[in-house]
Amino acid sequence: MHGGRYYSRCRKAGNTLFMKKVLLQTEALSKSFSSGGAMQHVLRNIDLQLYEGDFTVIMGASGAGKSTLLYALSGMDTPSLGKITFGTDVISDMDSDGLAVFRRRNCGFVFQQIYLIDSMSVMDNVLAAGLLVNRDKKELIRRAKELFAAVDIEEEAWRKFPAQLSGGEAQRVGIVRALINSPRILFADEPTGALNSQTGLDVLDTLTGFNGRGQSVVMVTHDMRSARRGNRILYLKDGTVLGECDLGPYVHGARARHEKLTGFLAEMGW
Amino acid sequence: MRKQFCLFLLLLFVAELAVLWHFAMQDYDEVQDAVAVNEVIHTLQDDWRNLETHRNRTALDYVVLDGGGAVLFRTKPGLSESIHQAILHRDTILDVPGEGKVLIYNDAAGKQQAGRQAAVAGLGILIAVQTGACLVYYFYLERNVIRPFRQLKDFAGRIAEGNLDIPLKMDRFNLFGAFTESFDIMRAELKRARRAEAQANAAKKELVAELSHDIKTPIASIQAAAEVGAALAQRVGRDSGAALEQGRPMAAGIRENYLQIIRKAEQINTLVSNLFTAALEEMEQLSVTPIDMPSGELRELLESADYLHRAMIPDIPECLLYADRLRLQQVFDNLFANSYKYANTEIEIRLRTGDGCLAVEIVDQGGGIGEEELPLLKEKFKRGKNTEKIEGAGLGLYISDYFMRAMQGALVVENGGKGLKVTVMILLSGYRSGAETAR
Repeated sequence: MHGGRYYSRCRKAGNTLFMKKVLLQTEALSKSFSSGGAMQHVLRNIDLQLYEGDFTVIMGASGAGKSTLLYALSGMDTPSLGKITFGTDVISDMDSDGLAVFRRRNCGFVFQQIYLIDSMSVMDNVLAAGLLVNRDKKELIRRAKELFAAVDIEEEAWRKFPAQLSGGEAQRVGIVRALINSPRILFADEPTGALNSQTGLDVLDTLTGFNGRGQSVVMVTHDMRSARRGNRILYLKDGTVLGECDLGPYVHGARARHEKLTGFLAEMGW
Repeated sequence: MRKQFCLFLLLLFVAELAVLWHFAMQDYDEVQDAVAVNEVIHTLQDDWRNLETHRNRTALDYVVLDGGGAVLFRTKPGLSESIHQAILHRDTILDVPGEGKVLIYNDAAGKQQAGRQAAVAGLGILIAVQTGACLVYYFYLERNVIRPFRQLKDFAGRIAEGNLDIPLKMDRFNLFGAFTESFDIMRAELKRARRAEAQANAAKKELVAELSHDIKTPIASIQAAAEVGAALAQRVGRDSGAALEQGRPMAAGIRENYLQIIRKAEQINTLVSNLFTAALEEMEQLSVTPIDMPSGELRELLESADYLHRAMIPDIPECLLYADRLRLQQVFDNLFANSYKYANTEIEIRLRTGDGCLAVEIVDQGGGIGEEELPLLKEKFKRGKNTEKIEGAGLGLYISDYFMRAMQGALVVENGGKGLKVTVMILLSGYRSGAETAR
């Protein structure tokens, strides 16, 4: 018997020419919730490898398990079954304290809601996250300034409070906070979901820019415009990876790339 | 009705013959009416002096010429108006004594033409009537003979296909009324017989299912009684052992007999279960409803199936299976029971994942079976060669295979190492089965 996924493999050139380093790997990852006595299996036997330096986009319809997968991969939630390996660490075996340390050191998070602390200035918000890992405040400030410059946030804005920022600025501050500890992976869950079209593009440009400098990004979205930024698209359906597509690095306005993505999504029944 | 129709056709034929006869016999060389000719001559003589007042009192047409050949009178234009023309036209040329000549027009050609036209018209009408009659007769035949035959052909075709529900349509005007009716009676009888057969079959299967269920109840009582007996024998042996030296081996013998009863009852139970399952399967009531199930639950299933504890259950790879728990339990029960019955050795269990499924290998050391028997093993009522002395119906592997296929998995039986190796392939959730991929 030769079983097989309903896999549509677009990726050919991606990994055969030069081997990318595996950053995060899952084996038969399943996540089940109990609702009203009945078991709900949200993720089912997911075998996945995420590579260093990739901008991986997880797409799928509502309820396909996108966010659940992101939470399991990032150690915010524990899988019901299966194994998740980060380098040599098996994070599916860690307890909640171990997971907290793992997340702090290795993961950055950007959510649709930004969750900045209202009573602290923008700079303090970023430093607060940094101080959990790094005690060297001078070093932190230096890195924060670098990051603020990279996301086009002026010096006077550092001293502002979150309420004084626009939505797009706040999300970019969120990205700075996520990157202050130089995480190995940046996880983003619908980062442009609450933003308007132009500020959303700015945030996407910011993420694409960091990825261009080697930052690994994993983003969940059901927005086609956001998905275009990734170089690897995974399509989730009914808790399993239905197919994946290797788009190659993001090039602004590349038509063939856009058509490949559209074709892939059409094939997946998007 | 038929007689009248034949008579009508006959009359038509006679009428046609008459018309043809009349046409053939008609005489057109008629001599002109001499009385009328004389009448013309006489009136002309009387009127000669005053020809303007002359009136034609006959049916003849004529032209009057004077001695010099000039036209004095004509009954209508278009007649021969000179002696020469009259000769060519074969008109009658007469002298009006002392006065001139009269050319009496010969209209035989016109009469002939009229007669021919009348004959053709009459014949045409007769032929039209005949053709009409033939068409009417054809439609009558089509409706009453050909169409019923065609219906009969379709009807026979349906019967051959086994469709006994559509009756043969019968028509009051059908020439074959009784004939078709007997065909329809045949259909109704066939249908009734087939329904009765199906009912009898279903009743038989239900009886088997019911009986198998009923048999289980007394077996359970026997088992319970035997267990009590065995326990009592053990206690008697223990309690009386000190007092009666020969009591101890006797009590042990009694206990052994009771244990034998328990084992045999267990065997009957398994056989009856298989019979029951087979009957249900034939009644198409054997439902398999696979759902997502954590692989950890396998341990419980395997432990329950291996009630003699012949196997070590290894670590189970964590994954989500797509299986029906109850049916999977029945499959394992059957496989272990087989191994106990035929091999009766230690059992090794190996687990591995791959190709979208979890493979559970159950291997014994009983020497396996002949290669030529392997392909037949999963068939209904098939048993291996070494099984004559062992009870069984040859249903266990058949049913297990049926269950595994219904779960989109598979059951593979092969010789491996020192004995038989049975591999239960359970599909992983989110994957699709090999059978589907191959398609």
